[in-house]
Amino acid sequence: MAYLVTFQWGWLLASLLLGLAMGWIAVVHRGQGVSKVTARWLSVLVAGLIAAALAHVVPGRPGYWLDLGLVMFALYLAGCTVGSWLRDWVLSRHAPAA
Amino acid sequence: MHGLFRWSSKWWPGVIPLAVFWAIAAWSNTAPLESDLAERSTAALKDSVLDKTRIEVAGRDVTFAADAFSEDGRHSAVASVEAVPGVRLVNDETRLVPEAKPFVWSAERDVVRVTLGGSSPLPASKGKLMEAARASLGGVEVVDQMNLSRGAPPRFDNAALLLLDQVGKLKDGKITLSDTKVSLSGMARDLGGREAIAAALKNLPEGFSVADNAIKAPPYIFQAYKDPVAVTVTLTGYVPDNNVHAAVATAATRKFFSEKVVDNLKASVGAPTGFANAVVPALGALSRLSTGTLVVSDREVKLSGDAFYDAAAGQIRAALAKDFPKDWQLKADISVKPAAAPVDATVCQQLFTDLLAKGKIRFESGRATIDPDSAGLLDRLIETALRCPNTNIEIAGHTDGDGEDAFNQALSEKRAQAVMDYLVKAGLPVDRFTAVGYGSTQPIAGNDTDEGKAQNRRIDFVVKE
Repeated sequence: MAYLVTFQWGWLLASLLLGLAMGWIAVVHRGQGVSKVTARWLSVLVAGLIAAALAHVVPGRPGYWLDLGLVMFALYLAGCTVGSWLRDWVLSRHAPAA
Repeated sequence: MHGLFRWSSKWWPGVIPLAVFWAIAAWSNTAPLESDLAERSTAALKDSVLDKTRIEVAGRDVTFAADAFSEDGRHSAVASVEAVPGVRLVNDETRLVPEAKPFVWSAERDVVRVTLGGSSPLPASKGKLMEAARASLGGVEVVDQMNLSRGAPPRFDNAALLLLDQVGKLKDGKITLSDTKVSLSGMARDLGGREAIAAALKNLPEGFSVADNAIKAPPYIFQAYKDPVAVTVTLTGYVPDNNVHAAVATAATRKFFSEKVVDNLKASVGAPTGFANAVVPALGALSRLSTGTLVVSDREVKLSGDAFYDAAAGQIRAALAKDFPKDWQLKADISVKPAAAPVDATVCQQLFTDLLAKGKIRFESGRATIDPDSAGLLDRLIETALRCPNTNIEIAGHTDGDGEDAFNQALSEKRAQAVMDYLVKAGLPVDRFTAVGYGSTQPIAGNDTDEGKAQNRRIDFVVKE
């Protein structure tokens, strides 16, 4: 993991920033969200992929790509969380003033 | 917290650029990552002793194939690849180097190169052997055809290095080490090379032994050529040591009374046993030839040339057959020189005087036994006597002034008689000769010096009409 971070830090940072941006937008976004059922299925899918990565069942290059994808996705989610939370915090500070 | 779930349902659009990032990252960075991991894995194996190491990286999985020289070495090599940061899985394709039984190593030398073949225990000893071979063989090309195998006997390196040294002493041949048995074949480069190799093999490390030593040496050559025109005897080739050299040179000087001895002999080991015992009589035989060549090659002696007269040829052969060491071979090709033209009494006398001025008939001290070294001179005297068949000859014996007159008188008579008997035995008619002893009554030099005495001890030939 540490090796992946040192080798791919540029792409991982890009994922994190993308997550921050998306999280920032998501709080005020009015579009259609993912339904609960779909979200559950997606969670199951991601859990499966994580299990596959930890068990080292995917060999060679695809295995590496899977690991890379999961790490980028994790940082994206982390970025989204922080981004949304920040935006919400900013909005709540301005609301009483308004 | 509730808000987070709400917001998260709207995070999905970002997954699309994320997927694009992921694809670009995977596409652009996979090959550099693989080569980086390969480099690190290779570096991690730097201190492991392995052969045929192969590292292939797919993603973060390393396929590691190598030949190891021990089970421990194999495990630690795999462990050090597994410990490389970033490596996810190691596909272990390592194996142990095959065991050679028997463990055979060989060094073969031909005209242009030395080929090292068979098995070597470790890459380090292989390198050491190649380096030693290059160093000890000078500019000779060294070809490496060695495999790596397990199962070498203890102290293999020391034994192989010692054998490599011996390869330098070969002209061509092969040295094979099979487990702890050494076999050698081929031809030594120099005289004595065979002996040097045999001596060096005594230093083989403990446990090693020589199974078969079939090294041959170049023939041990000794040559003597008697040239009647230049009046020289040329000695070439080898003698075993300085003592034998001196003995041969002294014998040549004594036997060849009129010829100059040109000594081009060199001392070298490797002489067949009984060398001096064979060469000295052969030189004696050569001294009795008018012209001739003596070639001694190992234990084979070839003598060819012309004797001065018929009976001499027979005498020479008989004497050689008697004196020669048993395990030596002799090929005597002796013909007889055509008889020289007859001369009158005056010339005959002159010829006798000339011959006896160049050399003297020698006797054992105080006795009337002719020294065999005088055979050459006597042959020349007989040949001269044959050239003037109508003359009578007085053989006059003289002594120096030492001792009693009566003894000297008797000794001079006996010595003159011994010479006459020798001539008669060679086939000359007995009635042509008279043997007379003068004791010390007719000195030709003073008896007060050793030189003068030596001149006075003599046999003269006096031609009578």
